Amino acid sequence: MSIAKIEIQKLTKTYPPRHAEDEAMRVLKGLDLAIQPHEFVCILGRSGCGKSTLLNAIAGLDRDFSGTIQIDGRALNGGRAPVRIAYLFQEPRLLPWLTAERNVDFALRSCRVPSARWAELKDRYLAMTGLDRFRTYYPHQLSGGMAQRLALVRALCIEPDILLMDEPFSGLDELTARRLRVDLLRIWRETRKTVVFVTHNAFEASFLADRILVMVRGEFQAEIPVNVPRPRDYDDPAIFEINRNVVRLFLKIAESGPAEDADAAAAPLGETESAPRVGAH
Amino acid sequence: MLLRLLSFGLAFLFWQLLALMLPPSILPGPIAPSIVLWENLDAGDVFRHLWITLLRVFGGLALALAIAVPVGVLMGVHRSAERILDIWVMVAMTIPSLCYALICFIWLGLNEYAAIVAIAVTAAPSIAINVWEGVKGIDVKLIQMARAYEADRRLILTRVLLPQVMPYIMASLRFGLGIIWKITVFVELIGRPNGVGFKLFYWYQLADMTQVLAWTLLFTLVMLLIELVALKELERRLFSWRPRVAA
Repeated sequence: MSIAKIEIQKLTKTYPPRHAEDEAMRVLKGLDLAIQPHEFVCILGRSGCGKSTLLNAIAGLDRDFSGTIQIDGRALNGGRAPVRIAYLFQEPRLLPWLTAERNVDFALRSCRVPSARWAELKDRYLAMTGLDRFRTYYPHQLSGGMAQRLALVRALCIEPDILLMDEPFSGLDELTARRLRVDLLRIWRETRKTVVFVTHNAFEASFLADRILVMVRGEFQAEIPVNVPRPRDYDDPAIFEINRNVVRLFLKIAESGPAEDADAAAAPLGETESAPRVGAH
Repeated sequence: MLLRLLSFGLAFLFWQLLALMLPPSILPGPIAPSIVLWENLDAGDVFRHLWITLLRVFGGLALALAIAVPVGVLMGVHRSAERILDIWVMVAMTIPSLCYALICFIWLGLNEYAAIVAIAVTAAPSIAINVWEGVKGIDVKLIQMARAYEADRRLILTRVLLPQVMPYIMASLRFGLGIIWKITVFVELIGRPNGVGFKLFYWYQLADMTQVLAWTLLFTLVMLLIELVALKELERRLFSWRPRVAA
């Protein structure tokens, strides 16, 4: 087997207690994870289970953890990753004072992509996402779906080896989210990035992933391969079947442990979200 | 615009009515000072005094911003800097401008530098507070995004931080200018042999109310012109990316 793209061993993240009498919170509890090049991995879990913390650690945004993260066999020791990583957040996080095109330029400049390549890259990915006509628009003039699409263009333009996605479609209405998922898979098939996609939506995970990792209370509790051939169809019964199994398994794991509510209350992320959704159908 | 003109008209009418009831040495009507203002402009030395006052105003404003913006940014960014500096900014704000002016003239002499320093020091605390508030409101998520895309410090500063603080710096600019106008004439009255403040004091000593009003009128008109034309335009250009709240 070749070297994993991302290799994580015993990753532990602890938040110091907020009050003296509290215990320190272990958000990630010794995670092990290996992700192969070109693999599309979904990490499924409810809010506060540590998914975003994991992504921040891989992205190098959070360096305060124990354990090792290796990318292309090289450890991420508080330094920058040896490869280019793009990050797509739950919100588009566009710079409101820059036009769509300038927002993309911002990422190209900050990742030091040679400026001779900018035009070509922008043309390619703006066309791929259907945003070509909107280059001169400011973010507030774009709809939520378009803004997230633009964030995707920004992520793709820097030609990352790894694409980290933190519930990127959860803020959108279901129809828009569906279209974006289809687009994402199409683009992924063309570009073959390694993708780590975090979500609380079991159907989304089943539709997108090669492999689903179920995360509960800072630990991976189950791994489900998704052996559905690509290109995938939204109405493929095989995906529904996997979705059903994932949800069943998820509920079993969640119920077998200590009360999830207590866990959610202790979560430092402060989000509120109920049990994993079965895709809206 | 119509409402504005109407309110101006009413104010002039009110002034005229009031003037009819008082002797002209106390309050002349609006016509006499306007004519005197015109004659002054014709005579020529108005521009010299106005020019030197404007130089002090903008010199003071530049120096005030140079002091206040870094202090405000530092206070917004560093918790410990905030704790150390906030009390001093408050203290600096409570000291009357007269004290600053006198101290500056005694320490630095009756010269241009002292005047500009006095103006700047008086205005700086309020500007610093404005910028401080602005920096505290910075969107951390955008900074995190920039860091995820490996932006260096300079890029984060110019593309992510500065545009967020800019509206507050603009607000401080307008608001600082408002304070500085007033301090400048005051400082001129105390320690300069020229400028609008000096002229006002000169005519005050001669008890010429018409001239006092003429100079006040001149000063107000120039200030309005700068505020309405230059600053509004600057703001429009800087913040064209913002959604319009109202048509």
